[in-house]
Amino acid sequence: MSRSNRQSGRRIRSLFDGADTTRAAALVAVGATLGTALQILYHFIDVVGLPSRFLLLVALSMIAATVLARVLRPRIAVAIGTVLLAAGLWWYLQQLSGAAQFGALINDTLALLTGNSLLRISNIRAWALGVTPGPVFLTWYFAVRRRYGIAIAVAGGTLGFLVLTGDADLMTTLSGVIAGTAGLGFGDFDRRREPIVDAETILVIAALMIVVPSVVTVVPATAGASLEISGSSGADTVEASLLQSGDQLSVQGSISLSPAVRFTVTSTESRYWRIGSFDRYTGDGWIRTTDSRQYDGGQLQRPRGPNRIVDQTFRAETSAQVMPAAWKPISVSGNSGTLVDGDGSLDTSATITNGTSYQVTSAVPTVSPAKLNETGQSYPRRIEDRYTQLPESTPDRVTRRTDRLTRNARTPYETAATVEQWLESNREYSLAVDRPAGSIADAFLFEMEAGYCTYYATTMVTMLRTQDIPARLAVGYTPGERVDEDRWVVRGLDAHAWVEVYFEKYGWVTFDPTPASDRGSVEQDRIETARERNMTNVDTGETGGEEWTSTPTVTPEPLTNSSGANGSTSSTSTPPGGGQPTPPPGAIRGDGSNQTLIETNTSDTATGGSGTDPSRSLPSRQETALGLLALVGTVIGARRSHLGQRAYRAVWLRYQPRDGPQTDVERAFQRLLYALGERHERSRRPDETVREYFDAVDADERAREVGAIRERARYSGSVDEADADRAVRLVNELVR
Amino acid sequence: MTDTDTSRGPQSDTTLSDAYDVVTKVIENVEQVIVGHHTEIEHILTAMLGRGHVLLEDVPGVGKTMLARAVAASFDGSFKRIQFTPDLLPADVTGVNVYNQQSERFDFQPGPIFANVVLGDEVNRAPPKTQSALLEAMEEEQVTVDGDTRDVPTPFTVIATQNTVEQNRTYDLPIAELDRFIKKLHLGYPDAADESDMLERVVGNHPIETLSPVASLDEFRRAQATASNATIEAPLRDYTTRLARYTREHGQLGVSPRGSISLLRAAQGRAILDNRDYVIPDDVRTEATVVMPHRIRTDRSDQTGSDLVQQALDTVPIEE
Repeated sequence: MSRSNRQSGRRIRSLFDGADTTRAAALVAVGATLGTALQILYHFIDVVGLPSRFLLLVALSMIAATVLARVLRPRIAVAIGTVLLAAGLWWYLQQLSGAAQFGALINDTLALLTGNSLLRISNIRAWALGVTPGPVFLTWYFAVRRRYGIAIAVAGGTLGFLVLTGDADLMTTLSGVIAGTAGLGFGDFDRRREPIVDAETILVIAALMIVVPSVVTVVPATAGASLEISGSSGADTVEASLLQSGDQLSVQGSISLSPAVRFTVTSTESRYWRIGSFDRYTGDGWIRTTDSRQYDGGQLQRPRGPNRIVDQTFRAETSAQVMPAAWKPISVSGNSGTLVDGDGSLDTSATITNGTSYQVTSAVPTVSPAKLNETGQSYPRRIEDRYTQLPESTPDRVTRRTDRLTRNARTPYETAATVEQWLESNREYSLAVDRPAGSIADAFLFEMEAGYCTYYATTMVTMLRTQDIPARLAVGYTPGERVDEDRWVVRGLDAHAWVEVYFEKYGWVTFDPTPASDRGSVEQDRIETARERNMTNVDTGETGGEEWTSTPTVTPEPLTNSSGANGSTSSTSTPPGGGQPTPPPGAIRGDGSNQTLIETNTSDTATGGSGTDPSRSLPSRQETALGLLALVGTVIGARRSHLGQRAYRAVWLRYQPRDGPQTDVERAFQRLLYALGERHERSRRPDETVREYFDAVDADERAREVGAIRERARYSGSVDEADADRAVRLVNELVR
Repeated sequence: MTDTDTSRGPQSDTTLSDAYDVVTKVIENVEQVIVGHHTEIEHILTAMLGRGHVLLEDVPGVGKTMLARAVAASFDGSFKRIQFTPDLLPADVTGVNVYNQQSERFDFQPGPIFANVVLGDEVNRAPPKTQSALLEAMEEEQVTVDGDTRDVPTPFTVIATQNTVEQNRTYDLPIAELDRFIKKLHLGYPDAADESDMLERVVGNHPIETLSPVASLDEFRRAQATASNATIEAPLRDYTTRLARYTREHGQLGVSPRGSISLLRAAQGRAILDNRDYVIPDDVRTEATVVMPHRIRTDRSDQTGSDLVQQALDTVPIEE
């Protein structure tokens, strides 16, 4: 892989000659280290499409490095690599729409290093393409020149950057570290021209690196950060399942799970209390790429179509870091830390303390389905670009299935309604699901039979985007329990995810593919369970009695069919301009700087960033590789330490199955020899007769008798059951 | 070597124990006369049990004749000594037909070869033709004189010595002929204590004169038969073969198949000596050191046959 053609022949011929095999192993290991970093970058590219150019770029860089390694001096190569990186970043800046400043780049980079996922970068494709060639070139150049230390340093540095941005998950990082270690080890052997067979310790070390952390983290307390080689580890209890509705949990942030009351809402109307939305779908999660800005107290943009004003007062019943509001908020009071998110939703930079209230005035879109049904597909380009993005890796069958389902739909509205209804009636609502490995939408569409709101919503958005209809994932709370004509109690379990679809002329309209009644009953069960267990904070003074009557219960009625007869109350829209810029702190941690995705991850998204990493999409292959490596290393280690043999010996030494006399005597004798060898730390040499050996270790009479019986069995051919019994009995005495 | 329970075996108990008795008694008896050569006496006895002949290579005056005489006397056998000289004729060894005027026919006058134990002194001083007369008798256990073939008595053992001191006018036995001796021994000088002991015993009334037989010829023949029936199992044959092959692979001339046969025969005798009717690797290893070396020509001047044999014993695995 690293030599010219002329030499490749020789290379193949001498493939099994030690040095070259070691070199190949070292190069593979370096490549693997680089690969872990590239894999993350590839994932970025994949999310926004067209990875082929990226692969081409990587290939070109490697070829160039291979060729130039024979010609260039290291100093010049470093210069080239640096120039490549600089040029790449410059090119990236050129690709940004606005006037890009160098200072902004540095700020961005610093933000990235403190844990901001790279996926937040709006032109992630340009970034990845720009950044890739430099490190790839340098890594490979030095690897080919046998400077493995530097090569690993470059590749590891790249991976390290991605670790700091939080884009490298545990598995990828571990793979990279192990590959790097192996690369250094093999490289060292290669430079010393030692054969690879001596390098098996490296495998043992690698296995230790894999096995030890995973074993250590089996300890329950640290399980959150553990290395789950087995992949999804969903718990199935009701409570854990609720936990698994990770979106809700992450939406609530520190409010953690459960039936605890979050807000009391006083409103003129029952609405979904919306918190935020996500635009970038990574195949296994959602990223928000928009920024938030400080709310200046003025009037926010109203939705474009017909709308009416709804006034709400939210009283926090626990401390909250999110700011629910009915779509679309136009003015806020009572919270000085209010932020306005890029999509127009509200957020707060400061924690809203328990018991404080804020007031929101929203302009609720009231466009009718009939009107929506008249719209076409000429969307603003900004909307279309951002909200029809799909990962390149989304399987084609999702598109084909959606095409088939919606072949009778003539308008975007009909398409959306069809998809919504299909999902609602063809998937069971369940909180107890195992998180699929690959694309969520694909899995929910083809493999799973049940799921909860995140699955429904994610799938619907994906399906609509395959039809080039802009859609996004919205998160927030359902109205909650109605305790009075104008009052609702919102609990943690009311957290919800739904879909917003963009319509020409009217903007964003809410769709909810989750079967409302199923969800409602599950949630009601949960509340009652909690009450039975006397959990605190399940009720306010108003709840727990009869539900306030004369109102539809659970949710505002979503648009459920294409007839579009009424239901205008449930459709909302925003002015297109409102969907763009500005700041939304992510729902999760509420420290203005963070964006995050709402996650479909099985377990505890609350535990930290690593669990929600987008690069999680490739674990199975890595896990397999790591598992194999661990296995091989363990086997070698066990062989080196003769573990298996010892265990076998221990049993073999003490328990002798009986066969024929001849065999029995021989077995007994071998056991004796082994036992003597262990006891005297001297085993019988092959050129030593039994008697000589017994003399050498000064064996006792019983041993000598066994020796004599065996000698007779072997050399005179005469042995009987009595002999065998006696030999076995004597040896049993001797070894136990 | 430790005692082993040898009550079982293909042969009846009495046969084995009789043989064992005969051999031990003979050895004991011989040791009354010969001091300090227990190992060599055992070797000679095992050679005789294996119907072989022994080559002694030694300086003069260490008691070779006495040893041979004592052995012969111990089982009531006849003993003859032949001093080989450059002018010794084959007939001097085998005997001649002499015309008897009374009976008007040729009577055979048996030569010294017709004895149970024959000591051939300094065989390398005799011309090859005379040597070959001796060697034929050793190999065939019969002697041909004037076309008549006559058997030598059984048991029949030749103990030959070579003069290694005066090398002029000698005819060294070629390796092909050395091969016919089952083993080659060195008596060597006795150590100081043994020598003093020996002097005390033999000066004056030499005990050989009063040495009485402890077994009959017949008993000794049966002991020989017992030895030749001692069991040799496959693992042992394999081991012997491996040893022989090792010497062939690592020397210019290795141990011949005849050498391997001799080794096993000697090992059978060794087994009887240890009161066993089957052969074990220990027997083979003990005997290999004396049975093999004189059949080997090494390809390095600094390595003797004994060295190579020791190397083989140290290298070749006993069990595979």
